[in-house]
Amino acid sequence: MSSEPVETDDGKTLYPVEPAANLGEGERITVNIKGREITLFNSNDEFHAVLNFCPHQGGPLCEGLLDGTLTMEDWEWTYSCDGEIVSCPWHGWEFDIKTGEHLSKSDYRVPTYDVVVRDGEVYVVE
Amino acid sequence: MAQSAEEIPARLKKIDTIVDCDFHVTERQEDILPYLPEPWSNVFGRSKGDDYGFLSSLYPSAGLINPITTGKVQSESVRSKEEAQVGIDLIHSDKVVITPTLNLYLGCVRNEEVAAALAHAYNEWLLDTMIDTDRGMYGAAVVAPQKPQKAAEEIDDRASEDGIAAVFFPSGGISPLAGAEKYYPIYEAAEANGLPVMMHNASGNMMTAFPRAFADLTRFISSHVVAHPMMHMCNMADMITRGVPVRFPDLNFVVQEAGLGYIPYFMRRFDHEYHSKKEDAPMLEAEPSEYIRRNFSFTSQPIEGTGEPEYVDSMVRLMGGEDNLMFSSDYPHLDFDYTDEMMNLLPSFDVDELNNVYGQNALETFDF
Ligand code: FES
Repeated sequence: MSSEPVETDDGKTLYPVEPAANLGEGERITVNIKGREITLFNSNDEFHAVLNFCPHQGGPLCEGLLDGTLTMEDWEWTYSCDGEIVSCPWHGWEFDIKTGEHLSKSDYRVPTYDVVVRDGEVYVVE
Repeated sequence: MAQSAEEIPARLKKIDTIVDCDFHVTERQEDILPYLPEPWSNVFGRSKGDDYGFLSSLYPSAGLINPITTGKVQSESVRSKEEAQVGIDLIHSDKVVITPTLNLYLGCVRNEEVAAALAHAYNEWLLDTMIDTDRGMYGAAVVAPQKPQKAAEEIDDRASEDGIAAVFFPSGGISPLAGAEKYYPIYEAAEANGLPVMMHNASGNMMTAFPRAFADLTRFISSHVVAHPMMHMCNMADMITRGVPVRFPDLNFVVQEAGLGYIPYFMRRFDHEYHSKKEDAPMLEAEPSEYIRRNFSFTSQPIEGTGEPEYVDSMVRLMGGEDNLMFSSDYPHLDFDYTDEMMNLLPSFDVDELNNVYGQNALETFDF
């Protein structure tokens, strides 16, 4: 990490993760912030931060495949949300990395965190 | 890994010994082919197996899509003690009984001689590669149900090996079913050697055997116990997974004469599957159980477990019976239920709920 946490005026803390330039499209990095593993994804040139802990049985969610998902429109199979869905490598539960929502089970959600980029550094907001 | 292998969850600490009785290896065809006995060793020994998976291999499969075939689940390989140890540490188990993966399909290998040879080869590989009692790694010796006499010999040979804790009977896809006299040599050998017989299906082989399985049921009781609920579960699973209630949201189905306990079971098992495999049913906008509650009703007869009102009461609660159960008698069939039978079995139901079950639900369902 290239810098220290930054306190903001509204009482939040920005935890520095990585210079934005280091994290290319489709790449990810997992860091430990206050004892929690949080994964920062660069997906479609947007950053998303997700807790690396699957709400199903505690699997390493963010180590899983990042791709899209099969959906159906007018009874035709389609593939959508490319780069926005992470599948837990343990049992395949799928989560939207933008919202943390499980694709089929609305009462399951993985924590996500706001992300800001300042002076070329990506921060997770807590 | 988010959850490290060293940290034992607090609730497990109270438990003295954790035995994992179904710990699979992920053996490949190429692992076991070198252990084939003659003449199969000669015949297949030239082959290295292939990279094309089950479809072109010796083991038949239904070829269905699942999260492994789509790359969503990264199942660990377990083909060495070191790889097994990763799983043992993760599960915090003290002992494991190692069971196969590819050889789950052994029951539907058509050539019975080849099947027996494959079982033999698997066991050789298992003993050579995986068994280690010092590390809690025990195994189940696979037998080929197609060749019971060879299977019995296999059991006699393996039983004294250190670390063989059971006989593994790949029960999916077998014909005839496991009650047939044909298999007695296997059961006798297991009993004589003090080994339990593990029965394990794979969905790919079990489903292909269903019509045969029905044809092979040789008695009325055995067929009647399973036929109604099995057929309903197959039909409902297919209807829901392929979106029938999505296409016909206002259509109700009345499912009859299969008992009660399978309904809460089926709902929960279906939901459990669905949440790992939503892509297989992408038109669904709610859990399978919700479609079952919305589009399906169930008639009550024959109620099982009538000596245990607390069982029946809880099953009906768990299926949401206050809204979807409808009284039926099946009179005059030999297992008919008398009218007040159910009443005495639902102690937690208030008057309104009993009214639903005995009439209101039917009034809403049928176009009287
Ligand atoms: S632990 Fe993530 S899907 Fe089961």
